[in-house]
Formats: sequence, C-alpha cells, structure tokens
Amino acid sequence: MLELSRRRFLIGVGLSGLAVASPRLIAAGSPTGEQSFHSRPIPSTGESVPAIGMGTWITFNVGGDQYLIDERTRVLETFLAQNGTVIDCSPMYGSAADVIGTGLDKLGAHDRIFAATKIWTSDGSETREQAATSERRWGIDRFDLLQVHNLLAWQEHLATLKEMKAEGRVRYIGITTSHGRRHRELARVMETEPLDFVQLTYNVLDREAEERLLPLARERDIAVIVNRPFQGGSLFRRFQSEPLPSWAAEAGVGSWAEFFLKFIISHPAVTCAIPATTSVEHMQENMGAMYGQLPDASQRRMMAEYVRQL
Amino acid sequence: MNRATWLSYSLQDFVMFGPEVFLRLFARINQDLWPWLLLWPLAGLVLPWFGRQAAELPRRLAMALAGLAWIGCGYLFLVRYYGPVNWPATGFGWAFVVQGLLLLLMKGRALPAPMTWPVAVSWWLAILLLPWLSVLEMPDLWALALFGLAPGVTVAATVLLFAGQPSPLRWLLLALPLAWTLFSAATYWALGTFWLLGFPVATLVLLIVALRVNPSPAQNPGSQSARPGPGRQSP
Repeated sequence: MLELSRRRFLIGVGLSGLAVASPRLIAAGSPTGEQSFHSRPIPSTGESVPAIGMGTWITFNVGGDQYLIDERTRVLETFLAQNGTVIDCSPMYGSAADVIGTGLDKLGAHDRIFAATKIWTSDGSETREQAATSERRWGIDRFDLLQVHNLLAWQEHLATLKEMKAEGRVRYIGITTSHGRRHRELARVMETEPLDFVQLTYNVLDREAEERLLPLARERDIAVIVNRPFQGGSLFRRFQSEPLPSWAAEAGVGSWAEFFLKFIISHPAVTCAIPATTSVEHMQENMGAMYGQLPDASQRRMMAEYVRQL
Repeated sequence: MNRATWLSYSLQDFVMFGPEVFLRLFARINQDLWPWLLLWPLAGLVLPWFGRQAAELPRRLAMALAGLAWIGCGYLFLVRYYGPVNWPATGFGWAFVVQGLLLLLMKGRALPAPMTWPVAVSWWLAILLLPWLSVLEMPDLWALALFGLAPGVTVAATVLLFAGQPSPLRWLLLALPLAWTLFSAATYWALGTFWLLGFPVATLVLLIVALRVNPSPAQNPGSQSARPGPGRQSP
C-alpha cells in the first residue's frame, strides 16, 4: 500500500491547488501540456474532431464488475482530460455501452464527447429502436454519429438513418467495416450514398485501404474513422521489443504507440483513429500521438518500409 | 457475406471480452456468495457417498444434487455473471438450467446402478483438483472454480454420471456437456488462458474413463451385474 509521507502530502496539496486553479493543467497530465493538438475537419460540415478517439471493442465489455467499471472510468477520464472526444461503440460490444454510460455519469461528461455508435441488427426495421436503446444506455439524448455496423442490412438501415438525420435525430451517418473485409462493397456504397463517415481498418501493415477507399473518401468528402490501428494489439506484440528507427524523433515519434498512430493520422484522408485500451498509461501514450509533429509523406514511406523489414 | 469473408475470421474475432474480465468472474461470484457457496462443493463431496448406496433413495438424492449443481452453475455463473459479457453464455446458462431440471425430474432412474469405486474416485479428484486451474491463471484463492458454480468443474464431474446411463438417455444427457466442452475450449484458446483448457480436457478424459467403466447396457448386457445369470453359465 502507498505510504503517505509528509513530502507526498505537500506535493499532493500543491497539485490539488493547481488543479483547481487551472483545469487545463490537469489535461496537462498529458505529455504535452498546453500544446495544441491535431484535429481534423469532418468534410461534410467542416466541424473539427480530435484526430485520436477511443474504441471500446473488448476493452469496455466488463459486465457488472464494479472494480473494472471504475478502472475503465479512469481510462475514460484520462481520454477526456487529454482532449479526446470521439468515443465509438456498438450494440455488438456486450456491456460496453453501459460501462461508457456509467463512466460519463460519474464524470458528468455527456456534453463533452462526440458520441458514435453503430446499428447492428439483421432486422432492417429495428434501426430507430436500436438507436434509442443505445441512447438510453449511454445516457444521451442523441448520437453525433450512427453507423451501419459491418454493412449488416445496410440498405434498410441507411435509408432510416437518412430520415433520422433529416429529422435532426442524429447529426452524422456512416457505415463500417473492419479487418479489411468487404472493401469492394464498401466502395460501392461510398460511391452512391450520401455518407458523412466511413469506418475501416487501416494500419502500418494493413494498407489495402490506401488503394481505393481512402482516395475515394477524399473525392467524396467522407470522413474516415480508422479502427484496429494496432491490429488488435498484435503490432505491439510483434514490434515492441524492436528499437524505434534512428530517425523516429525527426518524424515526431517517441514511442511505438505514436509510431503506429501517427502513421495513420498523417494520411490526408484520415479523420480520426480509435485505439482501444484498458490502461490509463496506454491511453496517455495513445493520446500523445495527437500532439507534436506528424510524419510527412516520405517519412510515412520510411515507416512502412521499416516495419516491413522488421 | 460470402464464404471467403467467413473464412477470413479467426477464433479471436469472436471473443468480445478480455481474459481479466473472464477470470474475475470466478472471484466475483465466490465473493458475492460467500459463505453460502461452500454448500455446492460440500454437496459435491458427499454425492458419491449417496451414489454408491444400494438403496434407491440415496441414489435419487445423488442425481438431485447433480441437478441442483447444473441449475446453480447455469443460472448464477452463466446467466447472471458471464452472460453480460458474452451473449452465447446466456443461452448456455438457460440450457444448463433445463438440464438440471431434467435431472431432478428423472429421480431414481438417473442412477441405474450404484457408482463404482473408479467413478467415485474420479469424481472426487475432479471436484478437488480442477478448481485450482483457475487459480493457476489468476493467483487468488477467491478465483477457485467451485463445483456447482463453475461450469468447467461441474460439467467434468457430472459426465461421470451421465456416461453411466443406458443409451439413448446417455447421449441425450451428454449432448450439452459436449457442446459446452467445445465452446469453452475455443473460448479459452482464443483468450490465451491455457490452464483453463484443463477443464475441457478433463471432461473428455473423465468421459472416456466413465464409458470404459460403465459400458452401455446395450453394448454389454452383462455390465448391469457382475455375476452372469444362471441361463448364461458355461457348461
């Protein structure tokens, strides 16, 4: 157990005073203090969102475990303190939506987020019902973004989502895929439907999206959310024991998390990457990618080549 | 989705929670039910004693205890604790409850003959040793996987009873344990909780042991009695 020495106590009191005086400095629990962070405009409106968001697949599905709910609330708190806003979920993620809702309640943060979830049901008539259920679980009045999950019954859901957007029941609509699946079908939807967002898998190893989907998103003014930026954690397992390249600092990269994330958000078509984590420390590392220099086109090529050689 | 898309999925893609969440289920249910949870393993310890009796009533009681274990494990562990993080667990949980009710309704028919010593010893070994597998994954005594609450131990032990039934009842009772064995093995593999693979492995080993000790009456008419009938004696 932590022993509270006089010195620690005084430091704690001092920091508490600072925190009251300047909430922004708490956010400066971030590695970057008052630096500006990278944000990206949503092409359909010009509204900006931070370039790093938060995914919740697996990580926030903790059921009724109060200890883990509190832990995830700390992760959420860290995310918000470091200027994160975009939180992505799905009804498919078990109890994740309830855990987000509990965390937002505890932090009083419902109005500080860009709330994104998905419609995940093969019944094309359940779009509104499922959106309402998700709103209740998150404790919000409406979502900023509703996406058709993995193109499931997308024709029916998208038709309803367009109606909901026209009614003001949702601000943005989109469609998702993951693991590099069904890119051709996604491209056809992007070519023909008025989407605000697409969500797809893109990372330093899975780069198929560069060929067609990312250029198409730019051409059609569609915002891009990138899932699986760490390939479900396997990028760390494969590369973390390796040294960063000698030129990493020149590319604004100080850790492998920054390496992987900055590679993604420096692509001109990408709006936001949504890494998921269960750890406050990892969240701090992830959010660090939102600050400082980003690699340019030639450095991005060097990054891809470096991991390929490893 | 076409076939190629389906084939692109790995086992890990279907697991929607992390190992910590799963392992903490054992500790959470034990802490929440303390000290009443001790009733289940105690029932498990005395069950073979009832099962070995020649009289029908204790053998009925043995099967009733097994039924209660399935109901407790199905409703408490699977439906209440595991279901919120893994929706197939809820379906399994209710199926466990139905199987438990079936065992209660079957009364004395369920144990057609007294348990043999090898089966009784296997039973005790299962409920005394297997609970430690979850502690090997999560070093905390609260994480013991107890008979009557944890599905792995409950299924592994009770297949010893089911294998002693005549066909086709035997296979009716074994269908759900085998389905759970497959499902849980895939889950533990995907989670990387390799010690827990001991549950499905033990289930299969105990099933083989029980089938060898208790061949079906249909396969071996002499197994009901150690002594051959008078009409079958050799000249």
